[in-house]
Amino acid sequence: MSRILLIARREFLAYAKTVGFWLSLLAFPLFAVLGGAIPVLMKHAEPQREAVIVDETPAGSGLAAAVRQALETERGRGDIAALRMAAVPEAGTAGGDRVREAAEKGGFDAGLEALKKEAPRAAAGFKTPKRSFELVEAPADLLAAAPGEARDALARRYVDKDAPEGERLNAVVFLTEKDGQPGARVWTGRATDDVVEDAVRDALKSANRSRVFVSSGIDPSVVAQTERFRPEVSVFSPRAASGGEVSFRDKLPVIVGLAVGFLLWSLVMTGASILLNSVMEEKSNKILEVLLSSASATEILTGKVLGVALLTVAVLGAWGGIGAIGLMASVPDVARDIGSVLLTDGLFVWFLLLLVGGYLMYAVLFAAIGAFCDTPRDAQTLMGPIMMVLIVPILVMQMAIRTPDAIVVKVISLIPPFTPFVMAARAPSGPPLIEMIGGLLGMFLFAALMVWAAGRAFRAGALSDVKLSWKSFMGAVTGR
Amino acid sequence: MVAALTLDGISKRYGGFQAVSDLSFQVEKGSICGFLGPNGAGKTSTLRMILGLQPATSGRIDILGADDGRKVRDRIGFLPEERGLYKKMTPVDAIAFFGALKGLPLPEGRRRGREMLEQMGLGEASKKKMKELSKGMAQKVQLIASVVHQPEFVILDEPFSGLDPMNQQGLEAMIRALAADGATVLFSTHVMQHAERLCDKVVLLARGRKAFEGTVDQARATSPRFLELEGALDRNAVAALPGVSAIETLAEDGAVSTLRVGLTPGAEAQSALRAAFLGGLDVRRFQMKEPTLHDAFIALTGDHPDEDQSVGKTDTMEAAR
Repeated sequence: MSRILLIARREFLAYAKTVGFWLSLLAFPLFAVLGGAIPVLMKHAEPQREAVIVDETPAGSGLAAAVRQALETERGRGDIAALRMAAVPEAGTAGGDRVREAAEKGGFDAGLEALKKEAPRAAAGFKTPKRSFELVEAPADLLAAAPGEARDALARRYVDKDAPEGERLNAVVFLTEKDGQPGARVWTGRATDDVVEDAVRDALKSANRSRVFVSSGIDPSVVAQTERFRPEVSVFSPRAASGGEVSFRDKLPVIVGLAVGFLLWSLVMTGASILLNSVMEEKSNKILEVLLSSASATEILTGKVLGVALLTVAVLGAWGGIGAIGLMASVPDVARDIGSVLLTDGLFVWFLLLLVGGYLMYAVLFAAIGAFCDTPRDAQTLMGPIMMVLIVPILVMQMAIRTPDAIVVKVISLIPPFTPFVMAARAPSGPPLIEMIGGLLGMFLFAALMVWAAGRAFRAGALSDVKLSWKSFMGAVTGR
Repeated sequence: MVAALTLDGISKRYGGFQAVSDLSFQVEKGSICGFLGPNGAGKTSTLRMILGLQPATSGRIDILGADDGRKVRDRIGFLPEERGLYKKMTPVDAIAFFGALKGLPLPEGRRRGREMLEQMGLGEASKKKMKELSKGMAQKVQLIASVVHQPEFVILDEPFSGLDPMNQQGLEAMIRALAADGATVLFSTHVMQHAERLCDKVVLLARGRKAFEGTVDQARATSPRFLELEGALDRNAVAALPGVSAIETLAEDGAVSTLRVGLTPGAEAQSALRAAFLGGLDVRRFQMKEPTLHDAFIALTGDHPDEDQSVGKTDTMEAAR
């Protein structure tokens, strides 16, 4: 086995055998799953709230009925959205849309039938979403009490935490109307719990709108139809894949570019930091001199860079694999679209080249810095300014989403230290080939320069006890 | 004898600091050569130049027929002054890894590593992690790692430092065994006793310059021999004895004193003693003292081998080639 491979193997195994590596390997997918699951779990874990509505509006106003109707309509929307979501993994977004349309036209049961047809497996396990609160019958004494202080005193007693079990309510809503303006007084068990308050506010808005329209002589069915109306806005662009109408598929490359840019940034920084720490550990443990007597500085540097690169690829492979499986399982259409974006015009290969160049540049630089340092504190002298400079691509990448062709984005994407990240963000938007090739050439030339300079600095640093500073580092590079 | 190593007019300068000046010496194949000098005398710089870790400012090095140690690094074993191994590795894995870097297949390195650890009494520790070993144990492991590939030339930089007397003896035996197996050994030290016991040849270095090259006996011969006399002695009468060049009072107890009497090179101690007895000097105890390598070093360089000569060394670092 060559010396480079031996050093790479040791470097890989040294980290792959640690608990920290496996934790970080699993942390990202775990947090991704938790990130998605926690809101669902929280929703399921939430207690079923019970609320009552007490109508204090003038007789015949019809506000209470309208509010109840609006609340019911809103719940219906939630059910329809749940039906669609259930259908998407099995039947795709188009199938999900068909289920939604069926439910909007024929109600929940019709939607469920459509779900059974479009996605039978999903339909078999479908459960109606849990309501955030249920409206229950108001206690007789509350209804009988005189509006005003007496009723409020009773409401306070019912929502109080000391109210007897079985009688306790989470919220008491008094619907009011003053000068023809609908309103409400909400008593709630917890001051911070605004679920009922928000629902009532939305329902009141909707009820008021309906009442205004109806009082203006508009047919109630027309009002209901208007409420259900969802505008269809189509966007067209000569750059759309279809040549006209813009679809989600057309917007996807920008999202992918940004995601890849951030991914490359974090991978490069993680890999380079591992190298920095690894070299620092060898320096402080006096291993570098033994290594240098057994292999050249170039072999050591290459072996270490390769070993950590394998580690990075392993992490990327694991994350990519888990992400792909997750996407295929939950939104297969989007997964297919992302796949097609990555394969279009060899984008995947461009990303790969940008990753290699970016990693090489920063890995050798960090390794060379590590050769001068015994502790992380020693490294701060150089790492601080470098990390500040590395914030630039983070800012520019966000700008590249909306305006990938902006002159500032173009220029920064051609500056070698920023090319790997900013060009990755630009690449899916189809920048001119000359810019892509120019950027890559510049990046690899700069990377080669970095490898050369870092090799010199690495050897000098490894055998030196000199304190790290910009002067000593540059002195090692220039040989003065 | 064929030279395994030849240094010809080697100099090394770090910025404004001259670490090594015009150094020339040879180490014969299969011999044990001690490279002696105080801390900061330029030993480590010279060893690094021999290994090719640092370029010489001027001069020529020939090691195992190559003009650069890096070209024959697989045939060289090196134990640096500042030692360290990967803390989370086991001794066997560490030995096999460093052996593999020198071209020894990993399985063979593990086999030899286990065998050598067993021989050094470290069989029990072979599966522990390096961080769990004592300093002495770790040093033995590192020494094994540097010779597991059975190198033709072994360079040991201050190999005895940090070892207790028992382990120092073990290391001396190991160095003799390496030479007996045909390896050439060059080791640096500032402790002269090890060199006295081990070396076929010594090179003395002081302030970056060679002070002596030759056998231990030749080195000793450069230093005056001594007589230690005890009694009620008159210094002037002692000074008048034949061959006496210097007198130093070692102890005084009333009229009785202990004198260290230096003899001029070639002078016979017996003649001086005979003259003392014939002259009626009150000599109650006498002892002839052969000069040690330590004495020879002082005589040759005017420096003390235990002093630190690194003072004044600048921060200038070695620039990579």
